[in-house]
Amino acid sequence: MASLTAKERVMKLLNGEKVDRPPIFSGMGNVIKPVLDKSGIVFSRVHRDPDLMAKAAAGMYREFKFECAVVPFDLGVEAEALGARLNFYDEVEGLLYPTVKEKCVTSADDVKIPSDIRNAGRIPVVAKAIKALRRELGNDVAIGTYVLGPFTLAGQVKELDALYEESFLEPEKTGKLLEKLSGFIVEVFKVYQEAGADYFTLREMGGTSDVMSPRSFKSLIKPHLKRILSEMPRPSILHICGDTNAIITDMAECGADAVSVDHKNCLAETRQKLGPKAIILGNFDPIKVLHKGAAKGVGPAVIESLNGGASAVWPGCDLWPEVPKENMEALMTALQDITIKVA
Amino acid sequence: MAGWLGSGKTTLIIALSKGLSQKGVKVAILVNEIGAIPVDGRVIQDYGLTVKDIGGGCICCQLAGSMMRTLRLLREGPNPDFVILEPTGIAVPHAIKEMLISAAPSGEITLGPTIVLFDTTRATKLLGYETLQRVVTTQLRDADIIALSKSDAVEEEALAGTAESVRVINPRAQIIRLSVTNGDGMAALTRVVEDMTVTV
Repeated sequence: MASLTAKERVMKLLNGEKVDRPPIFSGMGNVIKPVLDKSGIVFSRVHRDPDLMAKAAAGMYREFKFECAVVPFDLGVEAEALGARLNFYDEVEGLLYPTVKEKCVTSADDVKIPSDIRNAGRIPVVAKAIKALRRELGNDVAIGTYVLGPFTLAGQVKELDALYEESFLEPEKTGKLLEKLSGFIVEVFKVYQEAGADYFTLREMGGTSDVMSPRSFKSLIKPHLKRILSEMPRPSILHICGDTNAIITDMAECGADAVSVDHKNCLAETRQKLGPKAIILGNFDPIKVLHKGAAKGVGPAVIESLNGGASAVWPGCDLWPEVPKENMEALMTALQDITIKVA
Repeated sequence: MAGWLGSGKTTLIIALSKGLSQKGVKVAILVNEIGAIPVDGRVIQDYGLTVKDIGGGCICCQLAGSMMRTLRLLREGPNPDFVILEPTGIAVPHAIKEMLISAAPSGEITLGPTIVLFDTTRATKLLGYETLQRVVTTQLRDADIIALSKSDAVEEEALAGTAESVRVINPRAQIIRLSVTNGDGMAALTRVVEDMTVTV
């Protein structure tokens, strides 16, 4: 097979076609300090300026040939559009992600879906960044974007303890909240699709099996993920954190084109449960391997995930912004000098 | 200090802090919800010490930076000997540890033990309800110390049974019978907090 462009490789993989080698990419946050430093970008400003956001995202391809450009970087965009107040840590020079400082919802009735989603909060910032990325990178690189899943978003707008307690004891109330948020999530994805994004990740980290029982996931969260994935743009990826092997078949049944799992999953078990055709993304450890580990350990970790059944070189979560340059370079050269069997 | 909602974390933290303070140890408390902690609001205002959703199980990865910033502000300001962290009731302790380890340069912080409170008055519900079981057992598995809280309110036989049940879930944890009301277990808990530390 002739060598593919980065975008062709990513899009073919996500569309279930053959590729020359597994792409090295992500659908989650992945900007790192060497890229920010090279462009003189202050992290706290990158989240509200579409040009800076695009420049930082493009830098991962320009600097390292990481085979994607993904925006946004934080997990507060949708919550802010729904009325939650965020702290952007403007006064801090370090690498701090914006966090929710004031929640805005106690029940489904409190959720006010913006009448003009295109212009709500920072949704237009992300959309403009996607357009800027297309201008800047042309058609060589796939542009990815993500939106939080309904349960995770609920945890960003409603106090967490109250959300979980309600979901355990009065799940029908939580169901109403998730239903309302699901419609909003689909519309946000559509705005990003119109702006030109190529692939779409639904990040339902709050559905983790560490906290949610498989039965609760199945009855409370799965129906909403199914609905969102049937209405949102494609190719689509569903990501859930923690060891998800207990719910992995339910995840697959939600209908995404690919599932993404974190480093706590035994990938071989995931592959065994989903079969040879499933597109499974994951799951090298972005903290222990890429951030804190030595460069020489990156390649073996990547190969281990591919041998375990991963369809691509894809981190188990966001890349921590302080990933050292040499580790990122080791990631990008991990597939050199080895023969990869492509399904 | 983790534990399901209503397990007595805040009550224990206040008691534990008082005990440590009386021994000359300076303690700071980092809580998810300020509600029941009797602190001087100016401290929070002066230092900006608020961190939402500690260990929420949703977005741990992106909270690491703000958590470390808060700890550094504490060090530069009040400079406590200990920080007691009270996360959300659904917190996954190992995720919080991973978060701190990811954000802290080697040797910058020293991790104390993970104390998980288990409400002995609701043992059947916590271990029996399928919906609660997952988060409760995850917390218990992550514990270095399991504090059987409200032990004064439970018959001896039931308490022994609960101790046995949690031991099956986590055989390596130290189990302490705790009653903040009558002081049972407080001295033992104070000792292990002082003794069990690991630099990361």
